[in-house]
This record gives sequence, C-alpha cells and structure tokens, in this order.
Amino acid sequence: MSLSWNKEIYTPQNSWLHAWEPRFKLLGFSALILAFAMVRQWQLLPFIVLLTAVLYRTSQLPLDFLTRRLRYPGLILLGLVGLLPFISGQTVIWQWGLLTLRQEGCLAVGLIAGRFFSITTLGLLLLATTPFVVLVRSLRSLGLPVLIADMTLLSYRYLFDIGDNFNTMRTAMRLRGFQHHAKRLITLSWLNQLASLAGSLLIRSYEQSERVYQAMRLRGYSPHTRPPKTQSAALSSWHGFALGSVLLMAVGVIAADFVVSRV
Amino acid sequence: MHIADGMVPAQFCIGGYAATGLLSWVCLRQINRVSDPAQGIPKAALLTATFFVASLLHIPIPPASVHLVLNGLLGVVLGYYAFLAVLIGLFFQAIMFGHGGLSTLGINAIIMGLPALLAALIFRSGLWLLRSFPNRWAMGISAFFGGAIALILAVSLFAVLAVLGLPGGVDAIAERTAIFALVTAHLPLAVIEGAFTTLVVLFLDQVKPDLLKHTW
Repeated sequence: MSLSWNKEIYTPQNSWLHAWEPRFKLLGFSALILAFAMVRQWQLLPFIVLLTAVLYRTSQLPLDFLTRRLRYPGLILLGLVGLLPFISGQTVIWQWGLLTLRQEGCLAVGLIAGRFFSITTLGLLLLATTPFVVLVRSLRSLGLPVLIADMTLLSYRYLFDIGDNFNTMRTAMRLRGFQHHAKRLITLSWLNQLASLAGSLLIRSYEQSERVYQAMRLRGYSPHTRPPKTQSAALSSWHGFALGSVLLMAVGVIAADFVVSRV
Repeated sequence: MHIADGMVPAQFCIGGYAATGLLSWVCLRQINRVSDPAQGIPKAALLTATFFVASLLHIPIPPASVHLVLNGLLGVVLGYYAFLAVLIGLFFQAIMFGHGGLSTLGINAIIMGLPALLAALIFRSGLWLLRSFPNRWAMGISAFFGGAIALILAVSLFAVLAVLGLPGGVDAIAERTAIFALVTAHLPLAVIEGAFTTLVVLFLDQVKPDLLKHTW
C-alpha cells in the first residue's frame, strides 16, 4: 500500500470564487452547506443540485476533477444506504419474489444522494479555491483556537514527510523478508511486526517534534502571539455583496423547505 | 465508519458541532493548565500526522482487509490532545479522500474522539487498579481494554447515529437488528485493535517510555 493522496486540492484559476475574500467565502459556504443539510423535502433537490452546478461552473474547475473526487465517497455512501429502497417504507412500487422496492426508501436515497452531491461539491469548491494555509488562517481569524490552528498547520506540514518515512520503512521491512500474504489470516507475529513499525514511526516523529519545538522557541514562537491584522479596508464592495447573496440563497433554501413541508 | 455529507439531518450536524465545541473547550482547558502548553503542540501535531498515516495500515481478513482505527492508541499516547488530534485527522480525511465530510465533521469527531478520551481514562485507571501486578502486565491489559473498548464504542455510536439519522423510516426491529449486527460484526476487529494497541504500548514502554507520560 502506498500513500498516494493529493498534497494540495487547491487548483489555481481566475474565477470570482478564487478571488473572493476567504473569510467571507468560509461564512457563505458554511451557511449554504447548513441550508442544504436542512433540506428534507425531495421537491427541492433539483433546485439545490442546480445551484451547486452553477457555482461549480463559475469556479472554472474541470468536471473530471469533481467526478474523481466524488467517486470514492459516493461508493461508500452507496454501500451504507443502498439497501434502504428495499427495507424502508410501506408503499410498494415494484415486487419480484422476495425483492420489494418501496417508494419511501427510494425517496430517502434520492434525498441523501442529492444532499451528499451538493454538500460535498460545495466543500470541494471551498477547498479547491482556497489554499490550505489561507483557509486555516481564516478559520483562526474567525475564532478557531490558536492551539488547534497551530496543530493543524504543523500536522499538515509534516504529514507528507511522515508518509514518505512510513513507505520507506515498509519497503525496508519487505526487503528483509517481513511480508504477509493477503490471503492468509493475521498472525500474532505479523501483528507484532506491524506494531513495531507503527511504534518506530511514533518514536521518530516524537524525536522530530522535540527538535521542531526547540526551533520554534528559538524563533520566538508563542501560542499567545497574535497574527498580523489583515487589510480588510482594502476589500472592494463585491466581496460583501457576494456574501450577502449567498446568505440570501441559504435563507431561501431553508424557507422553501419550510413552505413545501407545510403544503 | 464515518457519516458522510447529506446522510443525516441538519439537527445531527449542528448537535455534533455543538458537542465537539464543548469537548474541545474542555480538552483545551485541561491542556492550558500545564505551565507551557506550547511545548505539547509540536508533539501532538506530529503524532497526529503519524496516527493519520499509521491508520492506513491494512490488516488482511480474507477475502477482504480492514484498516486500523487507532483511536484507542491515540487516547493512550496523547491524553487530552487526542480529541483535537481526532478532529484534525478527520478534517484531513474529509479534504484528502472525501471520507466523512465537512458538514458531519462534528458528529464524526464525537464518534471517534469520545472513545479516544475514554481509552485514555481506561488506560490510566487500569494502571492504577492493577498497580500490584508487574508493570508490563498492567500496561498490556489496560492498553488492550482501552483499544478494544474504544473501537466498540465508536462502532456503537456510529451505528446508532447512522440508523437513527436515516430518513424514510425503518421499523424499530430492523433498526435494532442493524445496530446489533454492525456492532457484532466488529467484535473480532475490536480484539485485533486491542491486541495491536497492547503491542504498540509495550514496544513504546520498552524503547521510549517518555511517549506514554503525557499531560493528564
């Protein structure tokens, strides 16, 4: 097994979403994600999917980027809710022997799939249009505790180094004959080898963390140091207008869901 | 074992974020009690990254394979930092693999982080209760129960929240059966997770005992 994740999801483009002030974008997208999560009426699904598609289109991100990112979580979700149309609800719409397709279950899966697509795409849009470090700094300026923000940035900084270390150690193990065949049951000695690998990795990281701490202190680090103020005065009015529009959309979705549920 | 975006209603997501906020506040309060909280940041950050990488280890259970959760081991090694480490690890999983989700980050943090804190408590209590035993035995037994119970609790929380949160209405008997089946299916994994936690803790105790002396 190799660690082949994407180091940075951020994809540079010249869209308005890329240029939008990160704190405003965070607030706007959070409100929209919350509003989409609140949708309970299937009649609203086409609207939220269309809204998501329009936002994605304006981001200038390629379509295959979205399909690649949705494939894996989509399959997991399908595994979790795939049985619902056959076990949930009373209204039978199709039957073949013991296999019974029920209307309520189908609607539930449609609702989950619609919300999943919209929310996951919005999350992806947020991350693909904002560099990771800028995102964490924006979260910090919006009130994320310093300790969590610093832990996140440091973890992110060393994640890929540790991943490379891990792969090197595993290769070294394999070259020395420590290998387990996937078709055989796990044995205690194999588990012990894996535990030694994980333990060694933990010790290496721990020792590295002590060096990192010393270096941080030498550079005057303190968790009480306030980040430099950003020049919010230089922002043009369209950032605020965009935030207002997105917030209005979020309120509209929540209100529409309420109205449809009453009809 | 993560709840995906859109799977549960917004009330669950909001409740998850509220509970995560509260637990994070409690953990931060405890961490800030030590004289130099900054000292723990690099250690917790690098170990968070290491746990994230190590959790990708696959254990073959023919014909498939499973990956380790390691939330029990995380609790044993990191103490109060464990909950924050889980939160950050889940954030990385959501952005890198699309596993879990941003709207369900709070709820997933409770599913994985609460058992991690419990594992830390079980480990510390076990060491105290078994203080008349040889140290390695006490450590091994406490680590096993910490790792195994953390996984069982995480699976139970996931099963209950996922089944209750599904729209459409599944009858109560089917709900109970699904929860029971999911938890029972994970019992062998809990034994493996407990054994793995024990082996890692004994290895660390032998090679670098400082790693097990965290801020409690």
